[in-house]
Amino acid sequence: MKQENPLIYLNNAATSWPKPPEVIQAVQESLELPFGGGGRGTGKVSRDYLTEGRETVAQFFGENSPDTIVFSLNATDALNTLIHGFAASQTEKFHVITTTLEHNSVLRPLHYLEKTGMIYLDYIPFSNARVDPESITEVVTDKTRLVVMNHGSNVLGSVQDIRVVGEYLHDRGIFFIVDGSQTAGHIPLNLSSLELDAFVFTGHKGLLGLPGIGGFCIRNPDPVLPIRMGGTGTNSKSLDQPGDLPERYEIGTHNYPGVASLIAGISFLKTIGMDTLQKKADRQIEYFMKELSSEPGITIYNPEPDLPIIACNITGLDNDDVGYILARKDNIVVRTGLHCAPLLHNAIDDGAGCVRISPSWFTTDEECQIAAEAIKEIAHHADSQI
Amino acid sequence: MRILRSNRHKYCADGSFMKEFILDTEVTPEFLDFLKHYGSLEMLPGLGEGFYKFEKSDCFSIKGFLNESSFEVRFKKEVMEFTSDFLYSMLYCYQNGKPDYTTLNRRDVALMERVRTRLHGN
Repeated sequence: MKQENPLIYLNNAATSWPKPPEVIQAVQESLELPFGGGGRGTGKVSRDYLTEGRETVAQFFGENSPDTIVFSLNATDALNTLIHGFAASQTEKFHVITTTLEHNSVLRPLHYLEKTGMIYLDYIPFSNARVDPESITEVVTDKTRLVVMNHGSNVLGSVQDIRVVGEYLHDRGIFFIVDGSQTAGHIPLNLSSLELDAFVFTGHKGLLGLPGIGGFCIRNPDPVLPIRMGGTGTNSKSLDQPGDLPERYEIGTHNYPGVASLIAGISFLKTIGMDTLQKKADRQIEYFMKELSSEPGITIYNPEPDLPIIACNITGLDNDDVGYILARKDNIVVRTGLHCAPLLHNAIDDGAGCVRISPSWFTTDEECQIAAEAIKEIAHHADSQI
Repeated sequence: MRILRSNRHKYCADGSFMKEFILDTEVTPEFLDFLKHYGSLEMLPGLGEGFYKFEKSDCFSIKGFLNESSFEVRFKKEVMEFTSDFLYSMLYCYQNGKPDYTTLNRRDVALMERVRTRLHGN
């Protein structure tokens, strides 16, 4: 292995790296004073990270009220809170719609509810990396209570038209959860202009924060019962879980350094500007597409991604072998396999998996060039077996 | 050849179990020739020092680069308890270029019998 090659990290759709120096500094500073607030202490304590965090996230997502922002461990945790909490509020078996683009963070909780007889479940297929909003409306029945879909695909990099879907569902009183794990921090969001009931985000991808912090925005929490209970630092006399936001869902001690990283990550994104970020991402996508799509041995699964995510395979080589070669020969980190999206892969590559390349703001043009050359080199050699 | 330690492990999408092994010596072309007696070998010689992938059907696969003292093994999970022992035997019987085929062939026959029984029930 040529360890002397500098690391090229193209796995930002899994978790972003590097983190901006401002984020690292903010985390370090957050640890310099005891954490407080939220009714858990007295005296001189650190900044009120939770209030600041909610305000920062709400403002960044174009959401009117910071009180609608709930922190969680990550997007999977948030989705479980929402999906299982919604199911707990229903008194009879109900119909749920999701898509085959989803991550296991959506598929597994829904599959569990289906398996245990609590829901009827429909999976809407995608075409050209996108779900046609009409195909969702076509399967809505009078038993449909919930739709869960991602905003951006973690494999194909396509952004779904949640505006149209949201408007249709809102008119029919169907609860709509959007998984924004891949879009938060990558595209400008204005949640207040969308008819969503809940929008899920994670802190460690596009928002450039630490792993272990995520959350969701929820406007009306009534249809989502709390499924975990415990200390909130408020109303401690009562043995009932508080019903107000955010205590309804936020239990136990918060991840203060995580929230600090989220605030700093969003601040960094705002300093750069979403337009500038997007322009760079578009340039990276265009570059990889130009370089890789002209190679006869390379299959690209979505030639027009909206996010900096390129999914491909090399003819004659297992995707895992491609990842291994890139890692060991060139010190390039990508993600291979199923990307926790088994139904999507069943549709695009018969469930075999693929190679996912996901650069970030910090990926240089030179790194893109080295990576594209390395992938092309593998493709050139893929059929020269002895 | 000996395994010094295993470095990383993970469960793979196809249900196999991956382990990276650190070896006491580098993988040579002679070692790959030895492996060929017990399975199929594919090679991309133009990539780096030469990428290889060895497959022992129903048991495990090995991939790595020539002249490196590590490789990655994917064990078929259902029979891993038998096949991981066989991997150690393979390396031991290679004996730095003077393979003990007699011992290893005998173990191979026994292994494949157990694997067949476990996987196919006969």
